Amino acid sequence: MTTQKTNSGQAKQSRGQLAASFRDPSGFLFSRGGVLYRQVNRAYEQEYARLMESGLYEKLVKAGLLIPHVEVEQAPAPERTSGLRESESALKIIQPERVPFISYPYEWSFGELKSAALATLSIQKRALKLGMSLKDASAYNIQFVRGKATLIDTLSFENYKEGEPWVAYRQFCQHFLAPLALMALKDVRLSQLLRVYIDGVPLDLASEILPTKTRLNFGLLTHIHLHAGAQKKYSGEEVKSRSGSTFGKQAMTGLIENLEATIQKLDWTPRGTEWGNYYDITNYSDAAFEHKKQLVAEWTKRLQPTLAWDLGANNGVFSRVVSSACPYVVSFDIDPAAVEQNYRQVKNDKTENLLPLLLDLTNPTPAIGWANRERDSFGARGPADMVLALAVIHHLAISNNVPLPQLADFFAETGKWLVIEFVPKPDSQVQKLLVSRKDIFPNYTREGFEAAFKARFTIREAVEIRESERVLYLMESH
Amino acid sequence: MHFAPLPYLDPGSGSFLIQLAIAALLGLGVAIRASWGTIKKWFGIKSKPEEDDDDSENE
Repeated sequence: MTTQKTNSGQAKQSRGQLAASFRDPSGFLFSRGGVLYRQVNRAYEQEYARLMESGLYEKLVKAGLLIPHVEVEQAPAPERTSGLRESESALKIIQPERVPFISYPYEWSFGELKSAALATLSIQKRALKLGMSLKDASAYNIQFVRGKATLIDTLSFENYKEGEPWVAYRQFCQHFLAPLALMALKDVRLSQLLRVYIDGVPLDLASEILPTKTRLNFGLLTHIHLHAGAQKKYSGEEVKSRSGSTFGKQAMTGLIENLEATIQKLDWTPRGTEWGNYYDITNYSDAAFEHKKQLVAEWTKRLQPTLAWDLGANNGVFSRVVSSACPYVVSFDIDPAAVEQNYRQVKNDKTENLLPLLLDLTNPTPAIGWANRERDSFGARGPADMVLALAVIHHLAISNNVPLPQLADFFAETGKWLVIEFVPKPDSQVQKLLVSRKDIFPNYTREGFEAAFKARFTIREAVEIRESERVLYLMESH
Repeated sequence: MHFAPLPYLDPGSGSFLIQLAIAALLGLGVAIRASWGTIKKWFGIKSKPEEDDDDSENE
């Protein structure tokens, strides 16, 4: 099966269907001519009608909770050759609004995952009021659009059947509650478990790791600890679902509200991680800082990029310089505290074109999932028009020993335009990196840097930053 | 008309049973919260204005 990439870099099966969109018989995403469409199958006719006619669609779109779509005149996707079932013939084709940058739960800060969890519950509450219910609660159904956690799977709704428990409860606990509890109560870095466990953190694992005192919290006790126990005890046993008063609407509402209250109380305040107070302790004089901001602003205005990535963005101060003149900026940093600070500011300012994400440049997000194609790698979601690499090169070249030519290759593949800051050896930050190791970097000089990068870029500007030893470059990849 | 009688997701038998087990408690919680205003009044406590679901921020 050959794969090609759409403009947004999403891996496709050979017939244009997205590699991540295969589980739901109600429909699937496919790409045609660079545009993303969703096929709604006949099997989903009733639910789709109810979603649109009950007012639920409007309510959710208005609240920024569901991605808007339009119905279009398009031929259905070519039929799949395997697993073809009669009821999968197309009902209609819809075109959802495009998400500017796809991100995944293991790239989110604590606050972003919490927002996604609360959005899911908020959607479920509203759906229940109009006789519908979410049939899944996967974190991958949520994307950040205009600064808000938004459901992108329009076909995730089913008719609510009173008397039945929530079919998506297990998934919600594994995708949202468990990782949030682990991040808030054990270690914020445990969000990375979501990278390994594609269907959320197994509850027995979460139960083992969480501190014992969490058993005193009703929500965590039931939804994680007892839930894990019940899963183990009854695995493989058949439960006949009976309609009736065993799990009425009040119980369902109570469940959602309790999950909500439990999650609301989980909090993680960034403190004490390495970069948290970065800008207070680095060696920028105000003049140097202002000069850098000024250059970044000037060059952004000149280049007019559509999409910019700020690598090693810390709390996003330079991302914000770019985002005032660029439609969309993604702000990447390795430190959860910095990403969290950045996201809190996004929420506070109600910024719509800035997305803070977690990223370790020395070990960027790989492609995972079925056939390693369901969730795209970091690189596959590029390239960006403009990439900022401010105050990162010494970490990559010296702390991580990456040779300058390989750095040049990496940056050339990441974006068309590069704004990069060369931090020379005399700089105090570099001296700190060399304090306990042998200096094995003879080529790490301004000349060596320029020579390495000229192989992949044309240097358009090189400006020495006032009151500092550093140099800011503007480069165009060739 | 669903083409298959089974749910789209495997909810897990344990997950079903846990929900049934706590159903009574959850329902009770909702009932208490609904009458909380009345209960407070009995004790002469002034209640704050209720938050409206639909207005709550998409946090």
